[in-house]
Amino acid sequence: MIELQSLTFRYAGSDRDALSDLTLTIPDGAFVGVIGPAGAGKTTFAHCLSGIVPHAVRGDFYGAVRVDGMDTADTRLTDLSRLVGTVFQDVESQIISSVVEDELLYGLENFGVPREEIEERLAFALEEVGIAPLRHRSIASLSGGQRQKVAIASLVALRPRILVLDEPTGELDPSSSRQIFSLLRRLNREYGMTVVVVEQKIMLLCEFAERLLVLSEGRVARDGSVREVLGDIEGLEAIGVNCPRSARFSALLGEKTGREIPVCVNAEEAVEAARRVIG
Amino acid sequence: MTDLFQYVPGNSPLHRMNPVTKIFLTLCICVAAFLTDNLFFLLFLLAFDLLIGVVAGAARKAFTIFRGLVKVSLFLFVLQALFVRRGNRLFWIITDEGLLTAASVVLRLLVVCLPLALVLTVTQVSDIANAMVQVLHVPYAYAFTLTTAIRFIPQFMEEMSGIMEAQTARGVEFDSKNFVKKLGMLLPLCTPLLISSVRRTGATATAAEVRGFDLRTRTSGYKRYGFGLIDLAALIVSAALIAGAVLIS
Repeated sequence: MIELQSLTFRYAGSDRDALSDLTLTIPDGAFVGVIGPAGAGKTTFAHCLSGIVPHAVRGDFYGAVRVDGMDTADTRLTDLSRLVGTVFQDVESQIISSVVEDELLYGLENFGVPREEIEERLAFALEEVGIAPLRHRSIASLSGGQRQKVAIASLVALRPRILVLDEPTGELDPSSSRQIFSLLRRLNREYGMTVVVVEQKIMLLCEFAERLLVLSEGRVARDGSVREVLGDIEGLEAIGVNCPRSARFSALLGEKTGREIPVCVNAEEAVEAARRVIG
Repeated sequence: MTDLFQYVPGNSPLHRMNPVTKIFLTLCICVAAFLTDNLFFLLFLLAFDLLIGVVAGAARKAFTIFRGLVKVSLFLFVLQALFVRRGNRLFWIITDEGLLTAASVVLRLLVVCLPLALVLTVTQVSDIANAMVQVLHVPYAYAFTLTTAIRFIPQFMEEMSGIMEAQTARGVEFDSKNFVKKLGMLLPLCTPLLISSVRRTGATATAAEVRGFDLRTRTSGYKRYGFGLIDLAALIVSAALIAGAVLIS
Protein backbone atom coordinates (compact mmCIF):
# COMPACT_ATOMS: atom_id res chain seq x y z
CA MET A 1 0.00 0.00 0.00
CA ILE A 2 1.20 3.51 -0.79
CA GLU A 3 0.17 6.38 1.44
CA LEU A 4 0.81 10.03 0.67
CA GLN A 5 0.35 12.44 3.53
CA SER A 6 0.31 16.19 2.83
CA LEU A 7 3.10 15.61 0.32
CA THR A 8 4.62 18.87 -0.90
CA PHE A 9 7.73 19.13 -3.06
CA ARG A 10 9.53 22.11 -4.52
CA TYR A 11 12.56 21.66 -6.80
CA ALA A 12 15.69 23.50 -5.70
CA GLY A 13 15.79 26.87 -7.44
CA SER A 14 12.10 26.84 -8.36
CA ASP A 15 9.68 29.43 -7.03
CA ARG A 16 6.60 27.25 -6.97
CA ASP A 17 5.67 23.86 -5.60
CA ALA A 18 5.78 21.01 -8.11
CA LEU A 19 3.41 19.09 -5.85
CA SER A 20 1.43 20.67 -3.08
CA ASP A 21 -0.40 19.02 -0.26
CA LEU A 22 -1.17 15.64 -1.80
CA THR A 23 -2.95 13.20 0.46
CA LEU A 24 -4.13 9.91 -0.97
CA THR A 25 -3.84 6.16 -0.63
CA ILE A 26 -3.18 3.57 -3.30
CA PRO A 27 -4.18 0.11 -2.03
CA ASP A 28 -2.39 -3.10 -3.00
CA GLY A 29 -3.43 -4.49 -6.36
CA ALA A 30 -4.75 -1.18 -7.70
CA PHE A 31 -4.39 -0.07 -11.31
CA VAL A 32 -4.15 3.71 -11.23
CA GLY A 33 -3.84 6.01 -14.23
CA VAL A 34 -2.36 9.46 -13.67
CA ILE A 35 -3.13 12.21 -16.15
CA GLY A 36 -2.88 15.96 -16.32
CA PRO A 37 -1.61 18.80 -18.52
CA ALA A 38 2.12 19.45 -18.95
CA GLY A 39 3.66 20.83 -15.79
CA ALA A 40 0.99 19.35 -13.54
CA GLY A 41 3.56 17.40 -11.53
CA LYS A 42 3.00 13.93 -12.99
CA THR A 43 6.66 12.98 -13.27
CA THR A 44 7.41 14.41 -9.82
CA PHE A 45 4.52 12.35 -8.49
CA ALA A 46 5.95 9.18 -10.05
CA HIS A 47 9.41 9.99 -8.65
CA CYS A 48 7.94 10.46 -5.18
CA LEU A 49 6.38 7.00 -5.23
CA SER A 50 9.67 5.36 -6.15
CA GLY A 51 11.75 7.41 -3.71
CA ILE A 52 13.82 9.14 -6.39
CA VAL A 53 12.35 12.26 -4.83
CA PRO A 54 13.80 13.10 -2.31
CA HIS A 55 16.81 10.75 -2.59
CA ALA A 56 18.22 11.68 -5.99
CA VAL A 57 16.58 15.05 -6.62
CA ARG A 58 17.35 18.18 -4.67
CA GLY A 59 14.52 20.30 -3.31
CA ASP A 60 12.24 20.94 -0.35
CA PHE A 61 10.25 17.89 0.66
CA TYR A 62 7.40 18.12 3.17
CA GLY A 63 4.88 15.56 4.32
CA ALA A 64 5.41 11.85 3.93
CA VAL A 65 5.23 9.01 1.45
CA ARG A 66 4.94 5.55 2.94
CA VAL A 67 5.31 2.39 0.90
CA ASP A 68 4.23 -0.67 2.85
CA GLY A 69 4.64 1.38 5.99
CA MET A 70 8.23 2.41 5.14
CA ASP A 71 8.83 6.14 4.99
CA THR A 72 10.54 6.76 1.65
CA ALA A 73 12.62 9.59 3.07
CA ASP A 74 14.16 7.30 5.71
CA THR A 75 14.56 4.19 3.58
CA ARG A 76 17.51 3.59 1.27
CA LEU A 77 16.69 3.89 -2.43
CA THR A 78 18.08 0.38 -2.93
CA ASP A 79 15.70 -1.10 -0.36
CA LEU A 80 12.77 0.79 -1.80
CA SER A 81 13.56 -0.39 -5.28
CA ARG A 82 13.09 -4.02 -4.25
CA LEU A 83 9.45 -3.09 -3.75
CA VAL A 84 8.82 -0.36 -6.30
CA GLY A 85 9.98 -0.71 -9.91
CA THR A 86 10.20 2.44 -12.01
CA VAL A 87 10.16 2.97 -15.76
CA PHE A 88 11.51 6.43 -16.47
CA GLN A 89 10.10 8.86 -18.97
CA ASP A 90 13.55 9.40 -20.47
CA VAL A 91 14.30 5.93 -21.79
CA GLU A 92 17.85 6.80 -22.81
CA SER A 93 18.95 7.55 -19.28
CA GLN A 94 17.34 4.43 -17.91
CA ILE A 95 19.30 2.03 -20.09
CA ILE A 96 22.55 0.90 -18.52
CA SER A 97 23.85 -1.88 -20.74
CA SER A 98 24.86 -2.13 -24.38
CA VAL A 99 22.96 -5.31 -25.19
CA VAL A 100 19.25 -6.08 -24.70
CA GLU A 101 19.84 -9.30 -22.78
CA ASP A 102 22.30 -7.64 -20.39
CA GLU A 103 19.86 -4.84 -19.71
CA LEU A 104 17.24 -7.33 -18.57
CA LEU A 105 19.78 -9.33 -16.60
CA TYR A 106 21.08 -6.30 -14.73
CA GLY A 107 18.37 -5.98 -12.11
CA LEU A 108 17.82 -9.75 -11.89
CA GLU A 109 21.49 -10.33 -11.08
CA ASN A 110 21.69 -7.50 -8.57
CA PHE A 111 18.59 -8.42 -6.64
CA GLY A 112 19.84 -11.97 -6.36
CA VAL A 113 17.09 -13.75 -8.29
CA PRO A 114 17.90 -17.51 -8.21
CA ARG A 115 19.75 -18.68 -11.34
CA GLU A 116 17.14 -21.26 -12.30
CA GLU A 117 14.44 -18.59 -12.28
CA ILE A 118 16.32 -16.05 -14.37
CA GLU A 119 15.91 -17.67 -17.79
CA GLU A 120 12.16 -18.08 -17.32
CA ARG A 121 11.71 -14.45 -16.25
CA LEU A 122 13.88 -13.21 -19.11
CA ALA A 123 11.92 -15.17 -21.68
CA PHE A 124 8.59 -14.09 -20.17
CA ALA A 125 9.46 -10.38 -20.21
CA LEU A 126 10.91 -10.45 -23.73
CA GLU A 127 7.96 -12.40 -25.08
CA GLU A 128 5.22 -10.38 -23.40
CA VAL A 129 6.70 -7.02 -24.36
CA GLY A 130 7.15 -8.31 -27.89
CA ILE A 131 10.93 -8.03 -28.25
CA ALA A 132 11.99 -11.69 -28.15
CA PRO A 133 13.79 -11.40 -31.52
CA LEU A 134 15.86 -8.48 -30.23
CA ARG A 135 17.40 -10.42 -27.33
CA HIS A 136 21.01 -10.36 -28.56
CA ARG A 137 20.87 -7.03 -30.37
CA SER A 138 22.97 -4.06 -29.40
CA ILE A 139 20.84 -1.30 -27.91
CA ALA A 140 22.54 1.38 -29.99
CA SER A 141 21.05 -0.26 -33.08
CA LEU A 142 17.43 -0.10 -31.84
CA SER A 143 14.78 2.51 -32.60
CA GLY A 144 13.30 4.74 -29.91
CA GLY A 145 10.20 2.59 -29.58
CA GLN A 146 12.22 -0.61 -29.32
CA ARG A 147 14.39 0.94 -26.62
CA GLN A 148 11.29 1.90 -24.70
CA LYS A 149 10.13 -1.71 -24.83
CA VAL A 150 13.52 -2.85 -23.55
CA ALA A 151 13.21 -0.45 -20.61
CA ILE A 152 9.74 -1.78 -19.81
CA ALA A 153 10.82 -5.41 -20.19
CA SER A 154 13.75 -4.90 -17.81
CA LEU A 155 11.30 -3.88 -15.09
CA VAL A 156 8.71 -6.52 -15.95
CA ALA A 157 11.39 -9.19 -15.52
CA LEU A 158 12.00 -7.94 -11.98
CA ARG A 159 8.34 -8.38 -11.02
CA PRO A 160 8.27 -5.71 -8.32
CA ARG A 161 5.20 -5.58 -6.08
CA ILE A 162 4.54 -2.04 -7.25
CA LEU A 163 5.29 -0.85 -10.78
CA VAL A 164 5.41 2.87 -11.55
CA LEU A 165 5.61 3.85 -15.22
CA ASP A 166 6.12 7.39 -16.49
CA GLU A 167 4.65 7.70 -19.99
CA PRO A 168 5.69 4.18 -20.98
CA THR A 169 4.14 4.43 -24.44
CA GLY A 170 5.49 7.86 -25.37
CA GLU A 171 7.44 6.49 -28.34
CA LEU A 172 5.24 3.55 -29.21
CA ASP A 173 2.79 3.05 -32.06
CA PRO A 174 -0.88 2.47 -31.16
CA SER A 175 -0.78 -1.32 -31.37
CA SER A 176 2.39 -1.63 -29.26
CA SER A 177 0.86 0.77 -26.75
CA ARG A 178 -2.16 -1.50 -26.40
CA GLN A 179 0.12 -4.51 -26.06
CA ILE A 180 1.97 -2.83 -23.17
CA PHE A 181 -1.27 -1.91 -21.43
CA SER A 182 -2.64 -5.43 -21.87
CA LEU A 183 0.53 -6.74 -20.27
CA LEU A 184 0.14 -4.29 -17.38
CA ARG A 185 -3.39 -5.50 -16.86
CA ARG A 186 -2.22 -9.09 -16.85
CA LEU A 187 0.54 -8.35 -14.32
CA ASN A 188 -2.03 -6.53 -12.24
CA ARG A 189 -4.58 -9.34 -12.32
CA GLU A 190 -2.42 -12.46 -12.33
CA TYR A 191 0.42 -11.35 -10.09
CA GLY A 192 -1.50 -8.81 -8.00
CA MET A 193 1.04 -6.17 -8.99
CA THR A 194 0.07 -2.61 -8.11
CA VAL A 195 0.36 -0.53 -11.28
CA VAL A 196 0.61 3.26 -11.35
CA VAL A 197 0.95 4.64 -14.85
CA VAL A 198 1.41 8.25 -15.91
CA GLU A 199 0.07 8.55 -19.42
CA GLN A 200 -1.08 11.16 -21.92
CA LYS A 201 -3.16 8.74 -23.97
CA ILE A 202 -6.44 9.03 -22.10
CA MET A 203 -8.22 6.46 -24.27
CA LEU A 204 -5.83 3.76 -23.08
CA LEU A 205 -6.07 4.85 -19.47
CA CYS A 206 -9.86 4.80 -19.57
CA GLU A 207 -9.88 1.36 -21.03
CA PHE A 208 -7.34 -0.29 -18.72
CA ALA A 209 -7.09 1.70 -15.49
CA GLU A 210 -9.60 1.25 -12.69
CA ARG A 211 -8.89 4.55 -11.04
CA LEU A 212 -8.01 7.90 -12.58
CA LEU A 213 -6.02 10.54 -10.81
CA VAL A 214 -6.07 13.95 -12.48
CA LEU A 215 -3.29 16.30 -11.46
CA SER A 216 -3.35 20.02 -12.11
CA GLU A 217 -0.77 22.53 -10.94
CA GLY A 218 0.63 20.09 -8.41
CA ARG A 219 -2.69 19.25 -6.80
CA VAL A 220 -5.16 16.42 -7.11
CA ALA A 221 -7.91 17.85 -9.29
CA ARG A 222 -9.96 14.65 -9.62
CA ASP A 223 -9.62 11.23 -8.07
CA GLY A 224 -12.06 8.41 -8.61
CA SER A 225 -13.11 5.56 -10.83
CA VAL A 226 -12.76 6.17 -14.56
CA ARG A 227 -16.52 6.67 -14.94
CA GLU A 228 -16.74 9.09 -12.03
CA VAL A 229 -13.94 11.24 -13.35
CA LEU A 230 -15.22 11.23 -16.92
CA GLY A 231 -18.63 12.32 -15.65
CA ASP A 232 -17.43 15.91 -15.53
CA ILE A 233 -16.21 16.62 -19.05
CA GLU A 234 -16.35 20.39 -18.79
CA GLY A 235 -14.35 20.36 -15.58
CA LEU A 236 -11.69 18.15 -17.16
CA GLU A 237 -11.42 20.27 -20.29
CA ALA A 238 -11.05 23.39 -18.14
CA ILE A 239 -8.04 21.72 -16.48
CA GLY A 240 -6.61 20.90 -19.89
CA VAL A 241 -7.39 17.19 -20.16
CA ASN A 242 -9.07 15.98 -23.33
CA CYS A 243 -11.79 13.43 -22.79
CA PRO A 244 -12.31 10.39 -25.00
CA ARG A 245 -14.86 11.02 -27.73
CA SER A 246 -17.07 8.24 -26.41
CA ALA A 247 -17.46 10.13 -23.11
CA ARG A 248 -18.19 13.37 -24.91
CA PHE A 249 -20.70 11.54 -27.08
CA SER A 250 -22.57 10.08 -24.10
CA ALA A 251 -22.65 13.46 -22.36
CA LEU A 252 -23.98 15.15 -25.50
CA LEU A 253 -26.52 12.40 -26.00
CA GLY A 254 -27.80 12.90 -22.45
CA GLU A 255 -27.96 16.66 -22.93
CA LYS A 256 -29.88 16.51 -26.24
CA THR A 257 -32.34 13.79 -25.25
CA GLY A 258 -32.76 14.84 -21.64
CA ARG A 259 -32.27 11.23 -20.60
CA GLU A 260 -29.90 9.75 -18.05
CA ILE A 261 -27.07 8.27 -20.16
CA PRO A 262 -24.25 6.44 -18.34
CA VAL A 263 -20.71 7.58 -19.18
CA CYS A 264 -19.29 5.61 -22.10
CA VAL A 265 -15.59 4.82 -21.84
CA ASN A 266 -15.18 3.13 -25.23
CA ALA A 267 -16.74 2.95 -28.68
CA GLU A 268 -18.75 -0.23 -27.98
CA GLU A 269 -20.48 1.38 -25.03
CA ALA A 270 -21.23 4.49 -27.11
CA VAL A 271 -22.81 2.36 -29.82
CA GLU A 272 -24.87 0.54 -27.21
CA ALA A 273 -26.06 3.84 -25.69
CA ALA A 274 -27.03 5.22 -29.09
CA ARG A 275 -28.92 2.03 -29.89
CA ARG A 276 -30.91 2.30 -26.68
CA VAL A 277 -31.84 5.93 -27.40
CA ILE A 278 -32.96 5.16 -30.93
CA GLY A 279 -34.97 2.34 -29.49
CA MET B 1 34.38 5.50 -36.21
CA THR B 2 31.82 4.07 -33.80
CA ASP B 3 31.68 0.71 -35.50
CA LEU B 4 35.41 0.30 -34.86
CA PHE B 5 34.52 -0.51 -31.28
CA GLN B 6 31.40 -2.45 -32.17
CA TYR B 7 31.12 -6.10 -31.23
CA VAL B 8 30.70 -8.50 -34.14
CA PRO B 9 28.89 -11.69 -33.12
CA GLY B 10 30.50 -14.98 -34.07
CA ASN B 11 31.62 -18.37 -32.86
CA SER B 12 35.34 -18.34 -33.63
CA PRO B 13 37.87 -19.72 -31.12
CA LEU B 14 38.55 -16.14 -30.13
CA HIS B 15 34.89 -15.51 -29.42
CA ARG B 16 34.82 -18.55 -27.15
CA MET B 17 37.99 -17.64 -25.30
CA ASN B 18 37.65 -16.33 -21.75
CA PRO B 19 37.61 -12.50 -21.85
CA VAL B 20 40.37 -12.37 -19.26
CA THR B 21 42.59 -14.55 -21.45
CA LYS B 22 41.94 -12.27 -24.39
CA ILE B 23 42.97 -9.22 -22.40
CA PHE B 24 46.05 -11.07 -21.17
CA LEU B 25 47.05 -12.09 -24.68
CA THR B 26 46.59 -8.52 -25.87
CA LEU B 27 48.71 -7.17 -23.06
CA CYS B 28 51.41 -9.75 -23.80
CA ILE B 29 51.52 -8.65 -27.43
CA CYS B 30 51.93 -5.04 -26.26
CA VAL B 31 54.66 -5.95 -23.77
CA ALA B 32 56.47 -8.05 -26.38
CA ALA B 33 56.35 -5.10 -28.79
CA PHE B 34 57.99 -2.84 -26.26
CA LEU B 35 60.58 -5.40 -25.14
CA THR B 36 62.08 -5.85 -28.59
CA ASP B 37 63.90 -3.49 -30.91
CA ASN B 38 64.19 -6.04 -33.65
CA LEU B 39 62.29 -4.85 -36.71
CA PHE B 40 61.77 -8.39 -38.01
CA PHE B 41 60.24 -9.50 -34.75
CA LEU B 42 57.94 -6.47 -34.83
CA LEU B 43 56.94 -7.41 -38.36
CA PHE B 44 56.28 -10.94 -37.13
CA LEU B 45 54.06 -9.54 -34.35
CA LEU B 46 52.18 -7.46 -36.89
CA ALA B 47 51.59 -10.54 -39.02
CA PHE B 48 50.44 -12.35 -35.87
CA ASP B 49 47.93 -9.54 -35.18
CA LEU B 50 46.50 -9.83 -38.67
CA LEU B 51 46.36 -13.62 -38.28
CA ILE B 52 44.31 -13.12 -35.10
CA GLY B 53 41.94 -10.94 -37.12
CA VAL B 54 41.59 -13.72 -39.72
CA VAL B 55 41.00 -16.41 -37.07
CA ALA B 56 38.40 -14.17 -35.41
CA GLY B 57 36.53 -14.04 -38.71
CA ALA B 58 37.06 -10.29 -38.77
CA ALA B 59 39.73 -10.18 -41.47
CA ARG B 60 38.10 -7.32 -43.34
CA LYS B 61 37.74 -5.28 -40.19
CA ALA B 62 41.32 -5.98 -39.16
CA PHE B 63 42.54 -4.72 -42.53
CA THR B 64 40.29 -1.65 -42.35
CA ILE B 65 41.76 -0.74 -38.98
CA PHE B 66 45.21 -1.52 -40.36
CA ARG B 67 44.72 0.83 -43.30
CA GLY B 68 43.45 3.58 -40.99
CA LEU B 69 46.45 3.16 -38.73
CA VAL B 70 48.88 3.19 -41.65
CA LYS B 71 47.73 6.72 -42.53
CA VAL B 72 48.46 7.94 -39.01
CA SER B 73 51.70 5.99 -39.04
CA LEU B 74 53.02 7.66 -42.20
CA PHE B 75 52.64 11.03 -40.53
CA LEU B 76 54.37 9.75 -37.40
CA PHE B 77 57.12 8.16 -39.48
CA VAL B 78 57.95 11.44 -41.24
CA LEU B 79 57.99 13.33 -37.95
CA GLN B 80 60.27 10.79 -36.28
CA ALA B 81 62.60 10.68 -39.26
CA LEU B 82 62.87 14.49 -39.26
CA PHE B 83 63.44 14.94 -35.56
CA VAL B 84 65.87 12.18 -34.63
CA ARG B 85 69.29 13.78 -34.96
CA ARG B 86 71.58 10.89 -34.05
CA GLY B 87 73.37 8.48 -36.38
CA ASN B 88 74.94 8.98 -39.82
CA ARG B 89 73.41 11.43 -42.25
CA LEU B 90 71.94 9.69 -45.27
CA PHE B 91 70.52 12.65 -47.20
CA TRP B 92 69.29 16.17 -46.32
CA ILE B 93 68.64 15.95 -42.55
CA ILE B 94 67.61 12.32 -42.53
CA THR B 95 69.87 9.91 -40.58
CA ASP B 96 70.02 6.12 -40.63
CA GLU B 97 69.16 5.93 -36.96
CA GLY B 98 66.27 8.30 -37.51
CA LEU B 99 64.82 5.98 -40.11
CA LEU B 100 65.28 2.93 -37.89
CA THR B 101 63.71 4.62 -34.86
CA ALA B 102 60.83 5.86 -36.99
CA ALA B 103 60.23 2.39 -38.38
CA SER B 104 60.20 0.74 -34.97
CA VAL B 105 57.94 3.41 -33.44
CA VAL B 106 55.45 3.05 -36.26
CA LEU B 107 55.55 -0.75 -36.17
CA ARG B 108 55.02 -0.72 -32.42
CA LEU B 109 52.03 1.57 -32.82
CA LEU B 110 50.49 -0.82 -35.34
CA VAL B 111 51.28 -3.93 -33.30
CA VAL B 112 49.78 -2.45 -30.13
CA CYS B 113 46.66 -0.79 -31.56
CA LEU B 114 45.42 -3.66 -33.71
CA PRO B 115 44.79 -6.26 -31.00
CA LEU B 116 43.24 -3.66 -28.69
CA ALA B 117 40.69 -2.84 -31.37
CA LEU B 118 40.21 -6.52 -32.22
CA VAL B 119 39.46 -7.48 -28.62
CA LEU B 120 36.39 -5.26 -28.72
CA THR B 121 35.36 -6.86 -32.02
CA VAL B 122 35.27 -10.37 -30.56
CA THR B 123 34.18 -9.57 -26.99
CA GLN B 124 31.18 -7.75 -25.56
CA VAL B 125 32.33 -5.01 -23.23
CA SER B 126 29.92 -6.33 -20.61
CA ASP B 127 31.65 -9.73 -20.81
CA ILE B 128 35.04 -8.11 -20.29
CA ALA B 129 33.69 -6.23 -17.27
CA ASN B 130 31.84 -9.21 -15.79
CA ALA B 131 34.79 -11.53 -16.26
CA MET B 132 37.14 -9.03 -14.66
CA VAL B 133 34.83 -8.82 -11.66
CA GLN B 134 34.33 -12.59 -11.44
CA VAL B 135 37.80 -13.88 -12.24
CA LEU B 136 40.14 -11.05 -11.30
CA HIS B 137 38.08 -9.74 -8.36
CA VAL B 138 38.08 -6.21 -9.78
CA PRO B 139 35.62 -4.06 -7.75
CA TYR B 140 32.33 -3.78 -9.63
CA ALA B 141 32.34 0.03 -9.56
CA TYR B 142 35.43 0.08 -11.82
CA ALA B 143 33.95 -2.44 -14.20
CA PHE B 144 30.76 -0.38 -14.31
CA THR B 145 32.76 2.72 -15.20
CA LEU B 146 34.28 0.88 -18.15
CA THR B 147 31.00 -0.48 -19.52
CA THR B 148 29.23 2.84 -19.06
CA ALA B 149 31.99 4.75 -20.83
CA ILE B 150 31.78 2.43 -23.83
CA ARG B 151 27.98 2.46 -23.77
CA PHE B 152 27.96 6.27 -23.87
CA ILE B 153 30.11 6.58 -27.02
CA PRO B 154 27.30 5.93 -29.54
CA GLN B 155 24.96 8.00 -27.39
CA PHE B 156 27.27 11.02 -27.50
CA MET B 157 27.54 10.62 -31.25
CA GLU B 158 23.74 10.61 -31.55
CA GLU B 159 23.44 13.61 -29.31
CA MET B 160 26.13 15.47 -31.21
CA SER B 161 24.48 14.91 -34.56
CA GLY B 162 21.14 15.89 -33.00
CA ILE B 163 22.55 19.22 -31.85
CA MET B 164 24.23 19.76 -35.21
CA GLU B 165 20.98 19.09 -37.06
CA ALA B 166 19.15 21.49 -34.77
CA GLN B 167 21.71 24.18 -35.48
CA THR B 168 21.80 23.43 -39.21
CA ALA B 169 18.03 23.90 -39.25
CA ARG B 170 18.61 27.37 -37.87
CA GLY B 171 21.11 28.33 -40.54
CA VAL B 172 24.53 27.24 -39.23
CA GLU B 173 26.56 26.06 -42.22
CA PHE B 174 28.32 22.96 -40.96
CA ASP B 175 29.07 21.94 -44.53
CA SER B 176 31.45 24.88 -44.94
CA LYS B 177 34.76 23.96 -46.58
CA ASN B 178 36.80 26.44 -44.54
CA PHE B 179 38.45 24.38 -41.81
CA VAL B 180 39.00 27.27 -39.37
CA LYS B 181 35.42 28.46 -39.81
CA LYS B 182 34.16 24.94 -39.23
CA LEU B 183 36.21 24.61 -36.06
CA GLY B 184 34.74 27.87 -34.83
CA MET B 185 31.26 26.50 -35.41
CA LEU B 186 32.00 23.25 -33.62
CA LEU B 187 33.12 24.91 -30.41
CA PRO B 188 29.66 26.24 -29.43
CA LEU B 189 28.42 22.63 -29.66
CA CYS B 190 30.45 21.66 -26.63
CA THR B 191 28.28 23.48 -24.11
CA PRO B 192 24.94 21.81 -24.96
CA LEU B 193 26.69 18.46 -25.36
CA LEU B 194 28.38 18.77 -21.97
CA ILE B 195 25.22 19.91 -20.20
CA SER B 196 23.04 17.17 -21.63
CA SER B 197 25.72 14.56 -20.93
CA VAL B 198 26.17 15.56 -17.31
CA ARG B 199 22.42 15.56 -16.80
CA ARG B 200 22.13 12.16 -18.42
CA THR B 201 24.96 10.75 -16.31
CA GLY B 202 23.10 11.71 -13.14
CA ALA B 203 19.93 10.07 -14.39
CA THR B 204 21.77 6.91 -15.38
CA ALA B 205 23.35 6.71 -11.93
CA THR B 206 19.88 6.87 -10.41
CA ALA B 207 18.64 4.23 -12.85
CA ALA B 208 21.47 1.93 -11.79
CA GLU B 209 20.76 2.58 -8.14
CA VAL B 210 17.07 1.72 -8.38
CA ARG B 211 18.01 -1.54 -10.01
CA GLY B 212 20.24 -2.66 -7.21
CA PHE B 213 23.68 -1.27 -8.13
CA ASP B 214 24.68 -1.29 -4.46
CA LEU B 215 23.69 -4.93 -4.00
CA ARG B 216 25.90 -6.32 -6.74
CA THR B 217 28.67 -8.62 -5.60
CA ARG B 218 31.40 -10.59 -7.35
CA THR B 219 29.13 -13.59 -7.81
CA SER B 220 26.04 -11.69 -8.98
CA GLY B 221 26.72 -12.21 -12.68
CA TYR B 222 24.44 -14.71 -14.42
CA LYS B 223 26.98 -15.68 -17.07
CA ARG B 224 29.92 -17.78 -15.95
CA TYR B 225 33.37 -17.42 -17.47
CA GLY B 226 35.31 -20.66 -17.39
CA PHE B 227 38.75 -21.58 -18.74
CA GLY B 228 39.21 -24.21 -21.43
CA LEU B 229 41.85 -25.71 -23.70
CA ILE B 230 41.73 -22.70 -25.95
CA ASP B 231 42.67 -20.49 -23.01
CA LEU B 232 45.59 -22.74 -22.22
CA ALA B 233 46.74 -22.50 -25.84
CA ALA B 234 46.50 -18.71 -25.68
CA LEU B 235 48.57 -18.66 -22.49
CA ILE B 236 51.30 -20.73 -24.14
CA VAL B 237 51.32 -18.42 -27.17
CA SER B 238 51.50 -15.39 -24.86
CA ALA B 239 54.46 -16.83 -23.00
CA ALA B 240 56.17 -17.71 -26.29
CA LEU B 241 55.76 -14.15 -27.56
CA ILE B 242 57.30 -12.64 -24.44
CA ALA B 243 60.13 -15.18 -24.45
CA GLY B 244 60.73 -14.54 -28.14
CA ALA B 245 60.87 -10.79 -27.57
CA VAL B 246 63.39 -11.15 -24.75
CA LEU B 247 65.58 -13.65 -26.60
CA ILE B 248 65.65 -11.92 -29.97
CA SER B 249 66.43 -8.43 -28.68
